[in-house]
Amino acid sequence: MVKFGIEFVPREAYWKTIFYAIQAEKRGFDNLWITDHYNNRNVYVTLTEAAIYTKKIVFGPGVTNPYLVNPVMTVQSLASLDELAPGRVVLGIGAGDKTTLAATGVEMRKPLTAVVETIEIFRKMLEGKSVTFEGQVFSAKGTRFNFKPRGQIPIYVGAQGPKMLETAGKIGDGVLINASHPKDVDYAVGRIKKGVSEAGKKLADVDVTAYTSFSVHEKPEKATQAAVPVVAFIAAGSPNVILERHGVDLKKVDKIRGALKAGDFGQAFGSVSPEMIDAFSVCGTPDLCIEQINRLLKAGISQFVVGSPIGPNVRKSIDLISEKIIPHFKK
Amino acid sequence: MAYQKIVKTIPVEKREKLSDKLLNFILKSKKESKMPGDLANTLLSQWQLGALTTEAGLATLLEAAVLLESEKTVELLEQELQLVDVAKAVKEME
Repeated sequence: MVKFGIEFVPREAYWKTIFYAIQAEKRGFDNLWITDHYNNRNVYVTLTEAAIYTKKIVFGPGVTNPYLVNPVMTVQSLASLDELAPGRVVLGIGAGDKTTLAATGVEMRKPLTAVVETIEIFRKMLEGKSVTFEGQVFSAKGTRFNFKPRGQIPIYVGAQGPKMLETAGKIGDGVLINASHPKDVDYAVGRIKKGVSEAGKKLADVDVTAYTSFSVHEKPEKATQAAVPVVAFIAAGSPNVILERHGVDLKKVDKIRGALKAGDFGQAFGSVSPEMIDAFSVCGTPDLCIEQINRLLKAGISQFVVGSPIGPNVRKSIDLISEKIIPHFKK
Repeated sequence: MAYQKIVKTIPVEKREKLSDKLLNFILKSKKESKMPGDLANTLLSQWQLGALTTEAGLATLLEAAVLLESEKTVELLEQELQLVDVAKAVKEME
């Protein structure tokens, strides 16, 4: 049965994010993902509070990266959270975002290798033994905890490019794909399958998770209005190969890029087309959203993540998802 | 404590709507830094327990809404909910 996750960007006060996290648990969501960016509230402080105020929802960073937080500290944070909320913790790990990393003066060196090595260190440290490891990016020299971790924690790999998708299928317990359209999921699942088969696993062994830009409202125009700013940023940040896959007008996207760079948000948001909304969001009335989720399920996902903006009113939209969308898939 | 006294005067049939409206003000407010930590923790605990329409929960919501969105809260009480005495009591609390 499909799982429903929800993603929050902790840019608001902690208590607001935790309010929505409690609501998500009450309303039947299975997973809670908190993004990790230096310019928002700290992911582990947010997750700690989520652990305290929830009882059954599974949660984790979605996603952290090995550059700003050393792998040893990531495994320490997750192992500690696993004590606070036993069996409810997962790790979401990716290579990070180049622009954000650049702003902190951190170089994204050998991203694929960095993620693979992080996962190796993560799993070894959770065995509770002394770890000695000499990688190309990271190393550990007799590194061990002074406490006994509870055990292994599922690892979801955030992946976009073909190599990372294959690797995620090969070594991950789950894969996080930033995609809202079946074409993108279809492409990703193809690569994941390759990795899965190389590892002698089945696709069903991996939780294929679509991280979508989502917006729901009973009035479709209100849902779209809320999705526009997020879609503008996604379109502007997408490589041409993806834009072409969706038949999006490159000139329009260039216009958005220019406007965003100039800080002219009116112009940028005004240039978002219906094609872009379709390509980069799951958006509309509950019935329309159900239709789009069904298409993603057919493309091979096993977890659907409701991501920003969620809707024009986050609280009301979570209720709407719970009342009209989740029951359709969890009868 | 003072807000609990005020809440007791609110008719039961208006409490659910009031709770919903106050939550909207609080969650949409841009003045989130005005929320004291202990009040935020009380709000989260009551929300977790499903107690935001009880007298204690409404008192928390009212206190938070007055701190974050005073004008909107008074307007809601006076005009939309016709709770003029409650609005007056809230104003005296400020």
